[in-house]
Amino acid sequence: MSYFRLVRVFFRVNLVGEVAYRINFFINLFQSILGLGTALLGMAIIFSFTGSLGGWLPNEILALVGVYVMIGGIIRFTIQPGMEQLIESVRDGTFDFMLTKPEDAQLMASINRFGIWEIINICLGFALLLIALVRLGGNIGGLAALEFVAMLLTGAVIIYSFFLTLATLAFWLVRVENILTIFQSMYEAGRWPVSLYPAWLRYGLTFVIPVAFATTVPVEALTNRLNGVTLLVAFGLAVILALVSRAFWKIGLKHYSGTSA
Amino acid sequence: MKSLLQLYLQQFKTTFATMFQYRASLVIWMIGQVLEPLVYLIVWSTVSNGNGGSIGTYTTGAFAAYFIILMLVNQFTYTWVMFDYEYRIREGYLSFALLKPVHPIHSDIADNIMSKTITLPILTVIAIGLAFAFHARLNVTPWLAVLFIPGLLLAFALRFLLEWTLAQCAFWTTRVSAINQIYFFLLLFLSGQIAPLSLLPRAVQIAAKVLPFYWTIGFPTELLLGKITVTGALIGLGVQIIWVAIAVFLVRVVWRLGVKAYAAVGQ
Amino acid sequence: MAGRNPGKPDSLSPPAKLRAAGPVVKIQGLSKTYTVNEQEAGAKATIRAIFHRQKTEVPAVDDITFSMMPGEIVGFLGPNGAGKTTTLKMLSGLLYPTRGNATVMGHVPWKREKTFLRQITLVMGQRNQLVWDIAPIHSFELNRVIYRIPLEDYRRILKELTELLELGPLLVKPVRNLSLGERMKCEIAAALLHRPQVVFLDEPTIGLDVTMQRRIRSFIAEYNKRFGATVLMTSHYMADVAALCRRVVVIHHGHLLFDGELALLLQKFTSHKTISIQLGECQADLNAYGEVLSCEDGRYTLRVPKAETARITERLLADLPVVDLLVEDPPIEEVIDRAFTEWNP
Repeated sequence: MSYFRLVRVFFRVNLVGEVAYRINFFINLFQSILGLGTALLGMAIIFSFTGSLGGWLPNEILALVGVYVMIGGIIRFTIQPGMEQLIESVRDGTFDFMLTKPEDAQLMASINRFGIWEIINICLGFALLLIALVRLGGNIGGLAALEFVAMLLTGAVIIYSFFLTLATLAFWLVRVENILTIFQSMYEAGRWPVSLYPAWLRYGLTFVIPVAFATTVPVEALTNRLNGVTLLVAFGLAVILALVSRAFWKIGLKHYSGTSA
Repeated sequence: MKSLLQLYLQQFKTTFATMFQYRASLVIWMIGQVLEPLVYLIVWSTVSNGNGGSIGTYTTGAFAAYFIILMLVNQFTYTWVMFDYEYRIREGYLSFALLKPVHPIHSDIADNIMSKTITLPILTVIAIGLAFAFHARLNVTPWLAVLFIPGLLLAFALRFLLEWTLAQCAFWTTRVSAINQIYFFLLLFLSGQIAPLSLLPRAVQIAAKVLPFYWTIGFPTELLLGKITVTGALIGLGVQIIWVAIAVFLVRVVWRLGVKAYAAVGQ
Repeated sequence: MAGRNPGKPDSLSPPAKLRAAGPVVKIQGLSKTYTVNEQEAGAKATIRAIFHRQKTEVPAVDDITFSMMPGEIVGFLGPNGAGKTTTLKMLSGLLYPTRGNATVMGHVPWKREKTFLRQITLVMGQRNQLVWDIAPIHSFELNRVIYRIPLEDYRRILKELTELLELGPLLVKPVRNLSLGERMKCEIAAALLHRPQVVFLDEPTIGLDVTMQRRIRSFIAEYNKRFGATVLMTSHYMADVAALCRRVVVIHHGHLLFDGELALLLQKFTSHKTISIQLGECQADLNAYGEVLSCEDGRYTLRVPKAETARITERLLADLPVVDLLVEDPPIEEVIDRAFTEWNP
C-alpha cells in the first residue's frame, strides 16, 4: 500500500532531523518524566485525603492518567504537527507544493510532520496504563478490553476530524495560527474523569472540544462504566464527523484553488 | 523619570495595538487560564463533599473561593517573557534592544501591565460568575483585605523579577523549555496552585515558605481569604520585601552577565 | 532646510565642534576571535563530545585600523564571512573585541553608554526592529519616546523621511503586510528618526529589487548630504558602493586589504582591460590576441593584460576588418574578486 510507504518515508525524514543530537533524547525524556510526575504528584495529594474521587478508585484514575498521557502523546505525535504544518503552509503559500504532488492532499497534510519525541510520552502513558490495570487486579473482561480499544479508535477518529475541521478554516481565515491550542488548553481537563464536572462543562468537553472521547470514555469502557448509549453516540459521532470533516476539507480545497490564481 | 513614563505610555499603545490583532488567540488563551484552576476547584470540591463538607480548614465553599481568587491572583502576577526570550535572541531582536538607550526590561513591564489591563476585567467578570455557580464562600477580614493590596503588588514585583531573570537563561542555553518546565513544576506545587499550602505535608510547606514561590501566588490569595493572622500577614509582607530585594539584585547581576556572554559571541 | 525659524537654535544640525574635533570613528588594531565548538557527525563523536568539547578559534576580524571623518560615507567591502558584520557589531557596541580598541564620537562602543547609543544607529538588512503585527507608525512613536526626540523635531524629520522614502501609505499598514522593499524603507526610517550622527548600515539593499536598491541608495546619499551623518555601509553589491562611496575599506578573512579611494582600488587591482570589437560574424578565432570571453553577433569580448592593451589594439585594427572597437575597464566585481584572490596573508 503506497500509503504506508509514504508514512514510513515522512517518519524517517522527521526522525533523522531530530536524532542528530543524542542529547535531545535525554532532554525530552526528562521533560516527559517531569510531566508525568506532575500528574502523579497531583493525584497523590488528592488521594491522601480520600479513598475515591467521584466514585473512581485511585487505580482507575491512574489508568486515566496513563491514557491521558498516551493519547496526548499520540495527538502531538501525529495529528497536531501535521495540522499545524498545514495551517502554516496555507498561510505562506507552500501548500501549493502539496497540491501539486500526485497523492491525496489531505493524506499528505496529515502525515508530513511527526513530533518524534512524543513516542516517549506514548510509551510512558502506555506503561502507566499497564501498571494501573495490573493493580486493578485484572477484573477486565474481554468485552471491556474490546470496548476500550474500540473507544480509543473512535476517539482518535473524532479528534482527528476535529483538528482537520479547525485546520480547514485556514482556507478562509488566514490568521488562525493558534486555533489548535484550544484543544491543548481544554485537554488539561481530561486528566480527571469528565463525570466530575458540572453539566455545562461536561457537554463542552464532549461535543464542543471532544476531550472526553480521548480520555474518559475509553477508560470508562475499561472500568465497566460505559453504557450502550455512550458507545453508540461515540460511533455515530465518529462516523458523522469523519464524513463532515472530509466534505468540509474538499470545500476548503476548492475555495483555496479558486482564489489563488 | 518623565521620559520613562512616556516610554511606558507609548509601549501601552503598542501592546494594545498588537493585542487587538491577536484577539482570537487571546480568547483561546483566557479559556485555558480559567480552566486550570476550575478543574482543581471541581476536584477538591468533590473530595471535600465526599469528606463531610470540608478538608482541613477549607470548606467546599472555601475551596471554591480559594481557586477563584487564585485564578485572579495568578493572572495578576504571571509573566511570559521566559517563553519569548530564546526567540528574541535567535531572531536578532535582542540586538536591536541592546542598541536602544533604555533597559529592555521596561518594555516588558509595560507590555505585561497593558496586557493585564485588558484581560483582568474580563476574568474578574468570569470569576464572579464562577463564584455564584460554585457557591464560593468568602469571609473577608477587613485588615487582611487592606494588606492584600501591598501583598498582591509585592507578589507581582517578585514574580516578574524572578521570571525575567529566568528568561535570561536563554543567553547560555537553547534548552529553555526544559528549564522553564522545571520552574513551572516547582511553582505549581509550592505556590498553592494544586492545593492550598496548608493541606500539603509539613516539609513541603516549610520549603514553600523558604523559597519564593509561595510568596508570588499563595500568600496574597490566603490573605484575601482570611487564612492568615494579621501578625502572620505583616511578617509575610516583610518576607516578600526581602525576596523582592534579592530578586532585584539577581536581575541586575544576571542581566549584566548575560549581556557579557552575548557580546562575547554575538548570536 | 526651508521653513525653519532662523532665530531658533537648530537642534537638528550636528554641533559645529564635532566637525572640528577630528575623526568621528577611530579603530586601532581591532580584532575579534570566536571560539567555536566543533561538531562531528557519527555516534562515537557525539558521545565523545558530551565529555570533551573540541574547540577551534575562528578569527573573524584581525588587527583592523582605520578612521572616519565626520560626514564621510565609507563603503565596507568584502565577501561573505570577511568580518564586515562583526566589525559593525563591535562599533555599535553589540560585541566585545578580543584585542584592540575603537572609539566612536569619543565613546568606547561596547561600554554601551546611553549618550553613545542615542547618537548611533544600526540597520541590518533583512532583520526587523519594527514590531511585526502593527503599523510602522507605532514603532516610530516608540522610537520617538525611547530616543527622547522632541515632538516638533520628530514631526519634521518624519515628514522629510516620508517624502524622501515615499512612505505615505505604508505607515499605517501592519509590517507583516508590507513587501520586503517597503519594510526595508520603514526600517531605515525608524532607524533615522533620532538623527544619529553615525549610521551603520549592514547590507541595507540585500534581497531588494533593482529599483528599490537604487531608491535606497539615492536616499542614503541625500540623507548624508542634508544631515551630514557619518555612514559606514557594508555591501557586496558593487553598485551600492560605486554609487555612494568615494572611499572604500576592503576586508577579507578579517584583514584590511585596502583603505582608500575606490578609483585607486580599481587602478591598483586592475591588471587587465576588456576590448570589445565588432566584426562581421563570430567565425574567427581570436585566441592569439587575448582571452576570448564571449562572442555574440560578431561582437567579441577579449580580456588582455593592461600593459599590452595598446599593442594588441594596434594588431587587431591592422589584421581584422574591425567595424567598432572599445577598450574598457573590467567590471568592478572582477576587480574586487582579484583583490581578494591576490591577497596572501
